[in-house]
Amino acid sequence: MLAAGASADVLIELGIVLLVLAVIGRLAARIGIPSVPLYLVAGLMMGEGGLIPLDASDDFIRIGADVGVVLLLLLLGLEYSGQELRDGLRSHWTSGLVDIVTSAAPGVIAGLVLGWGTIATIVLGGVTYVSSSGIIAKLLGDLDRVGNRETPVVLSILVMEDLAMAVFLPILGVLLAGSGVVEGTLQVAAALGVVAIALIVSIHFGSHVSRLVWSRSREVLLLTILGLTFLVAGFAEEVHVSSAVGAFLIGVALSGAVAEDGRELVEPLRDVFGGLFFVFFGLQVDPGDLGPALVPAAIIGVASVVTKVGTGWWSAGRAGIGRGGRLRAGLSLVPRGEFSIVIAGLGVAQGLHADLGPLSAAYVLIMAIVGSLLMRFADDIPLRPRLEDPRGTV
Amino acid sequence: MEVFETKLPGLGVRYDIATTHGERLGVVVRRDGMREVVLYDPRDPDRSRAAFTVAPAEAAVLVELLGGSKLTERLVDLRQEVEGLAIEWVTLRDGSGLTGRTIGEGHIRSDTGASVVAVVRGPTSFPGPGPDFTFEAGDLVLVMGSAPSVDRAVELLAG
Repeated sequence: MLAAGASADVLIELGIVLLVLAVIGRLAARIGIPSVPLYLVAGLMMGEGGLIPLDASDDFIRIGADVGVVLLLLLLGLEYSGQELRDGLRSHWTSGLVDIVTSAAPGVIAGLVLGWGTIATIVLGGVTYVSSSGIIAKLLGDLDRVGNRETPVVLSILVMEDLAMAVFLPILGVLLAGSGVVEGTLQVAAALGVVAIALIVSIHFGSHVSRLVWSRSREVLLLTILGLTFLVAGFAEEVHVSSAVGAFLIGVALSGAVAEDGRELVEPLRDVFGGLFFVFFGLQVDPGDLGPALVPAAIIGVASVVTKVGTGWWSAGRAGIGRGGRLRAGLSLVPRGEFSIVIAGLGVAQGLHADLGPLSAAYVLIMAIVGSLLMRFADDIPLRPRLEDPRGTV
Repeated sequence: MEVFETKLPGLGVRYDIATTHGERLGVVVRRDGMREVVLYDPRDPDRSRAAFTVAPAEAAVLVELLGGSKLTERLVDLRQEVEGLAIEWVTLRDGSGLTGRTIGEGHIRSDTGASVVAVVRGPTSFPGPGPDFTFEAGDLVLVMGSAPSVDRAVELLAG
């Protein structure tokens, strides 16, 4: 039991943090940019010596941030059904592969050039690889592009990234745990085995799991899903495979009605705790380190824009989309956000390279804002009309 | 006519058709059940513009208006009006309006001017129910009269 004073302090701090996020969220909606980068800025401005003296070592914000990561990954896992993952793998694996190679490259190359260790370099590759499905899905809706013919191309690449995360996160978890080669290999094999089981459960036994977990009562359903998720996330953390991975796998394994209803139920919780997570990440970064990180982050950012636009352009071209649509598909893949921060957060928590936090924060700040602006103004970018393009004559 | 189906992972499904007038239109059935009807830009056939978005119940009304099949869900709240004569179906909810009371107690005719023409309860129907007919929750009540009187009766019944 906390002393009355301590409890009051926690509530007051929590109230302030959430109110700041609420004000920022309003501002972001007003000027039409995603809220994630602004939440990061809020975290940067808080903390010792900041506008609001908040301490990253405060239990409440650390636990809140942990819960936030778990819920973010749970929802990422819930986002696509097993069927969608399977269809994606069957018909879009080449686009997925091109995306992995070209989009992880800027981060990996930067890690090598900066002389970071192997693991920090891999983490940075993950940060530049994964697009923000949250920002992109929201903008596709806001910009009235859900019906566009290039949109399925964009979405299938996001599905492939989801699958790639299912493989990447457990491996990263094991690498970060830093065990020996033999033990590490065994752990990776075990982790991938669990991923395979989760996928098989989702695709072949989804209806059974759904029946077992589902309840007519929303309250019971929410408690069941959260209970399962925290339990598995906890066990995953216990065996050094990061709670995020455990939560993600639960999300992948749940499908059908449970996934549909679960998404709706967990989303508001994710918004609260996810917000705390972004603030927590910002708190761990010294605002003074952010300035020097901006230039390298911008360079990596420019390279990432080029590779993502290339990936989208190429994939949409294969689907028979015209030039305007190919450009829109490419620009729609640029925004980075929550999952880049999650990956960076895993590395920062393990005390990898000191510049990882500031560089990732600067990168996501730039890419979330620039990416959504590029998406918004995609149709205003003039493309040289090509006379031989048969579509142009319609 | 051919309907093309395209899956939109995480969002829903899109169906496209080309009309005989040469326009292409699509219907996006979102995962939450909302339907978005989109029109394609003739200059950039990949680009769409949402014409309108409707909820499932509204989509059902739209289907009826466009001359849809008889198989579509029965519409209970579609008002039909024939020159001064209004007809409306009202569903009684648990614990509201006249649920649990008789037609006579409700003074529907004397207070509103509209008449209860029939009541449908599950598989059975009661055409021309008398004043001692007791309403139950879930009853589907058919009211007839002038438009304003039907409005008042609906308010009284469903309250």
